[in-house]
Amino acid sequence: MSVAELNPQSAIHNPQSGGEVVVSVRGLTKVFKDFWNRPKARAVDNVDFEVRKGEVFGLLGPNGSGKSTTVKLLLGLLNPTKGHIEVFGHSPRHVQTKARIGYLPEESYLYRYLNSRETLDFFGNLFHLNKADRDNRAEQLLEMVGLGKTQTRAVGEFSKGMQRRIGLAQALINDPDLVILDEPTAGLDPIGCREVKDLIIALARRGKTVILSSHLLSDVEDVCDRVVIYYGGKIQAAGTLKDLLATPDTLRITTPVLPRETLEKVLATIRHGISTGEVRVDNPTQNLESYFLDVVNQARAANETSGAQSGARVAEYLRGGDDAKPATDKVLEKLSLPSAAQPPVDAKSAAQPAASRVDDKKLESLAQASQPAPPPAKSASAPEAQPVDLSKADEKLSSLLGGKK
Amino acid sequence: MQRILAIAWLTWKAALRFKLFLVIAVLLLTAVVGLPLVIEDDGTAQGFTQIILTYTLSAITALLGLSTLWLACGTLARDIEECQIQVVATKPIARWQIWLGKWCGIISLNAALLAISGTCVFGLLQWRASKLPAAEQQILREQILVARGSAKEVNHSAEIDAATEQVLQGRLKSSPIEKVDLPEVRRQIHEQVKAEMQLVPPSYERTWKIDLGFAKNYLAGKPLQLRVKFNAAEKSPSGTFLALWQVGVPDKTKLWQSEPMSLAPDTETSHAVHEFAIPPDLFDANGLLTITFNNQNQTTLLFPLEDGVEVLYPEGGFALNFARGLGIIFCWMALLAALGLMAASFLSFPVATFFSLAMLLIVLSSGTLAESVDSGSVAAGNDEKGVAGHSVMDFALIPAFKGVLAMVSLVKNYSPIDALSTGRSITWGELGAAFAQVVLLVGGGFAVAGIVLFNRRELATAQGTQ
Repeated sequence: MSVAELNPQSAIHNPQSGGEVVVSVRGLTKVFKDFWNRPKARAVDNVDFEVRKGEVFGLLGPNGSGKSTTVKLLLGLLNPTKGHIEVFGHSPRHVQTKARIGYLPEESYLYRYLNSRETLDFFGNLFHLNKADRDNRAEQLLEMVGLGKTQTRAVGEFSKGMQRRIGLAQALINDPDLVILDEPTAGLDPIGCREVKDLIIALARRGKTVILSSHLLSDVEDVCDRVVIYYGGKIQAAGTLKDLLATPDTLRITTPVLPRETLEKVLATIRHGISTGEVRVDNPTQNLESYFLDVVNQARAANETSGAQSGARVAEYLRGGDDAKPATDKVLEKLSLPSAAQPPVDAKSAAQPAASRVDDKKLESLAQASQPAPPPAKSASAPEAQPVDLSKADEKLSSLLGGKK
Repeated sequence: MQRILAIAWLTWKAALRFKLFLVIAVLLLTAVVGLPLVIEDDGTAQGFTQIILTYTLSAITALLGLSTLWLACGTLARDIEECQIQVVATKPIARWQIWLGKWCGIISLNAALLAISGTCVFGLLQWRASKLPAAEQQILREQILVARGSAKEVNHSAEIDAATEQVLQGRLKSSPIEKVDLPEVRRQIHEQVKAEMQLVPPSYERTWKIDLGFAKNYLAGKPLQLRVKFNAAEKSPSGTFLALWQVGVPDKTKLWQSEPMSLAPDTETSHAVHEFAIPPDLFDANGLLTITFNNQNQTTLLFPLEDGVEVLYPEGGFALNFARGLGIIFCWMALLAALGLMAASFLSFPVATFFSLAMLLIVLSSGTLAESVDSGSVAAGNDEKGVAGHSVMDFALIPAFKGVLAMVSLVKNYSPIDALSTGRSITWGELGAAFAQVVLLVGGGFAVAGIVLFNRRELATAQGTQ
């Protein structure tokens, strides 16, 4: 699907689910000016969109496309040149409304001289939390982001990934109704990325609204219900990922390894009426992220690290009543949910085409029980049942972005 | 309040973690304790005061003033430049609370530093005083390490103005004056009238009637001090002049007449001020003290109207007076913090620092502004030819200078270092007035301007510089 085939305006004004509008943006334009008030750059150009309660909404685009500027306009850190923004029905500068917002900026804009505990305590104070709540939440958040054992180290001494983790923790100290995450996985290792995505899913399940700004297609694809794609300050495409990515004229069937005879029968049936070139058969592969997580999970039991540890479960106060299942279970649960509110992973897994054409030699090899080379997948946490091949989706989204990833 | 305190706490944390507090404290202690310890005074009460009180308090004011300006500019401007403000401002805290929190943090730091250095100075003062000769210690206890109230003659401004106007009208009737010269003529007549009230020609007497006011109620039986300062029209061979004083009114109050005194005049090179005790109970029932000077010299003496003759009386202890003096210095620091934050509200760190220092320079050079306002022009005149200066910018600059001077005078009216080094009382009223004028009025003006500018500023235009 090309950009020309999309109708962004229809998707913008007809979001898939009804419900309370959390963020409303109409005709938003931001022009940066120089000292003499001459226009310097049109960062955001006549943008319209709405974000509804409980949605995970993605702002996708290449560097410099206007995503972060939009986020800063939503937060009242910049003043729009034209247009109108409402967040929970108020101006972005409305102080009380900010008590319902959590924000993770694109870089670690935290005080370098505070340690992680003090950082969370400071921001807790700004939300008028009492000491018991601040202590309790800080404890849970630090455990959640894997910084439980580095509470007394100054944030300035942290690696970039650890700074992102503490940044994420501060964004959640108030149990926000709207979480705005600007490049949340930048600088994080694959485990951290997975944990952030799990967290976003967990937040969405509790009815929280999440706005995610990223140029990493896999981030957006894994968690977002709806996206807008920016280029040159304008929205080039908008809609649900299912709408954007589905290829309704293709079908994929996944089965256990079949005996050769059975496989030949199936293929013969399928080939009846379809040209041979359109049928592909191969072994599904797990993606690199899943494989990496398995390897690390195995190694974790034996090794200690002085840096950030893998995050624990999502903080209790962020889980609400849904606290019995581990985060990975929730990912799986989400993946298996048939609801229209969970389209991204379903759409992706349903739309994966096979990678190669059928030949007899390959057929023979496929008919034998295949044994992938290193067998790390002892842990139950890797989502093997839903192998995620992002290459096709990335390719599509890249084409929407004019070939840029 | 919790939010404002959180921001103030942050300023403390930054000062402690970056060792700023430690460095300033060590610098202060080195300047106010270390150096006076190695510098020897001349063994007199005056020399002692000069080194211990005047020097240390001036050093505290200068060091704390500069560090306050630097810190105030840095704490806000760097938060904006390094983008931390982008996280803080997205929390439920109003921008005025951020601004006020920063200000509270800086002034509480100042309060702590002032308390530490003030305590050290006080301890040093007591310790060094005990090393002075007994006679000098006596002078110190009576004239400096006390809190003395002051009474002066009533202000003669209205009387001088009326006399000036009367003479001017007479002059205008006798000989017309160009309109452009009128201000200069008026100024000259004013100085002439004022001089006549200050002069005591040879063989003449001058009487001062000084109302002790409410103080009369607790001064019964207590000796008072006369503080005297004068100039002479000519030099005397000995460098001093004969002085005969009488205090009291014959047949009405007790009378005291001094022995002939030999007093040095106040000149540009030697700022001679004389203090001597007078017996108690010389004032009348209304608290009016009558002082007469008899000029037995061959030259005219001039007693300035402002501070030629002054009566000093005991009012309280030195410790509390010293604390009130530090209180006024604290008010100045609060003002500088507001100035620095106001500059940082719309400027980058280096520019804000430059701007604040420039403002400070204007205040310190207010004498030049006052001269321009007095002469009515920013251009220099020619005194020899009697030609007044004139500039096309006068119409704008002179009113502006007047405004600046009016504001500066609100701040410079208070001089706790002078008061403490001359043993004068700094009353609670003065401290309250200093707080109202310096902190609330002028500092409040800076705060309003700073908050408005900060509120209008886009906080996310900077990219992180960490």
